[in-house]
Amino acid sequence: MKFYVCIKQVPDVDAPIQIKDGNLIQNTDRMVLNAYDASAVEEALVLTEEHGGEVEVVLVGPDKAKETIRKALAMGADKAIHITTDDDVEYDSAVYANILATFFEDKEYDVISCGKQSQDTDAGLAGSMLAQHLDLPYATNAVGLSLEDNELVVKRQGDSGQEIIGLPQPCLVTCSNDMNEPRIPSLKGIMQSKRKPMESIALSDMNLDESVLSAKTKVTGYMEKPEREPGQKFEGEPEELAQKVANILDEEENVI
Amino acid sequence: MSTLLTHIAVSDGKIKRASLEVLSRMTQLAEANGHTSEAVIIDANASDHVEEVQKYGASKIYTIENPIFKNHQNTPLLKALSKVMDEADPFVFGFGSTESTKDILGALAANQDAAVLSDVSEFELTDDGIEATRPVMAAKILSDNKASGDNILVSVRSGSYDLNESPTDAEVVDIDFSFNEDELKATLREIIGASGDKIDLTEAETIVAAGRGAKDDEGQELIEELASVLNAALGASRALTEAGIMDPSLQIGQTGKVVSPQLYIAVGISGAIQHVAGMTNSKVIVAINKDPDAPIFDIADYGIVGDLYKVLPPFIEELKKIKS
Repeated sequence: MKFYVCIKQVPDVDAPIQIKDGNLIQNTDRMVLNAYDASAVEEALVLTEEHGGEVEVVLVGPDKAKETIRKALAMGADKAIHITTDDDVEYDSAVYANILATFFEDKEYDVISCGKQSQDTDAGLAGSMLAQHLDLPYATNAVGLSLEDNELVVKRQGDSGQEIIGLPQPCLVTCSNDMNEPRIPSLKGIMQSKRKPMESIALSDMNLDESVLSAKTKVTGYMEKPEREPGQKFEGEPEELAQKVANILDEEENVI
Repeated sequence: MSTLLTHIAVSDGKIKRASLEVLSRMTQLAEANGHTSEAVIIDANASDHVEEVQKYGASKIYTIENPIFKNHQNTPLLKALSKVMDEADPFVFGFGSTESTKDILGALAANQDAAVLSDVSEFELTDDGIEATRPVMAAKILSDNKASGDNILVSVRSGSYDLNESPTDAEVVDIDFSFNEDELKATLREIIGASGDKIDLTEAETIVAAGRGAKDDEGQELIEELASVLNAALGASRALTEAGIMDPSLQIGQTGKVVSPQLYIAVGISGAIQHVAGMTNSKVIVAINKDPDAPIFDIADYGIVGDLYKVLPPFIEELKKIKS
């Protein structure tokens, strides 16, 4: 089976962040493979190891995102496509979906997968947008994947339980990070990744219409979130503490 | 005058409170800006829910009733939503941010060529669209966003707005909708662990959430007893859902549910940012953890440093006394 996994380079949410004059100042050394996309790569590797096939990753992003592509190759993906953009582009989910939809127009595949959202923006839109553009059956928020009788069987975490959905191929699925623990690239994997094919396509060469690249939404600024102040911390005899806090919740906070 | 339309989500026969919160906000915005607030109910028994929706100020309520909507499936839902957008021509179409919404929002935006902002915590109308606040970077910071156009989609985090009753005599319009099973692109084979009567975490007033510290049988029993005394919903950190100890639908955090109860009791949860992202809007946070340096204490209003096996039994006893 042929898997395309769409991946994205994002800031590490655990890295320190500063906001200056409404702008986000991030340590640019701390850019990582989106954790949800890493789960999508892992799941594609597991399925192709079991059933045979090929995993190709696709990334839309600036030149510096190459290291993220290398990471996916080092995990075990077979090859990569890098659609290169300028460094400072501000695309929303819709623009990424438009670019990817154009890329996939003439491609053949069984499954396209990606993370269910980016860990920086948490928008969670691009996957289903891409499915709509390509008119593919799709499922989001997958926590498990398997292949049965040529259908991709998705276990999806829904509102009231886990939905088991059969998708005829070709199809698209977006992955939760709850489905697996992405493998850490081995030294051998890292060495091999340097010899794996990585094709670059300049976005400007894709002849996309300007309207496709103009975002309908934009971020106009960032604010610190009003932080919760640490409250009272009690140490001592468990019985006394239990009694004290229970009474505060009842009498002062009125939440019992 | 434009239309502000709200999608009323129904799950397990009940309206999601998040939808009514959005409708309350839309009605308020409609009154302040001279627009009309309308709602659409898409469900197998849509007409059963009209009365409830009428309390929140919609001047027109569309119903789309079809057995296909018994369970969430994205193909028929998308078809119905596209149809109602053609009919109502909304300037803004609002959704409660449920898992079902997350499943279709991007696809609907692509289908309608609409601007979309997901999971906002606040939004206002502007002349040519909306301005909205979204928590980003694992909800550590807030971003200001603008969406422009004449058919904007927005999904709103549960608990962002209060319910506000303003009953109207809404006109009810049933939209004719047919769906052939052949149109289904995917097959819903089964639903496992449907929650049924359990309290929905996103709507709960009180939540007892368990983490790694409460992973054995004794810990689980204590958590359940505490939840039962408080009539609370049970929640979990990723550590416990991933280990298969608690049901994945109970996971609270960046991956999982975002909750905003009156009282949140975190038991044996260290407080990783990914967990905190899902519960930081709780009114009162109580943390019980034996590690005095656990980051959960940085955001808790009341922290109890101690072994949960020693703290919970007297805590439960005390709460029982208060309750009786």
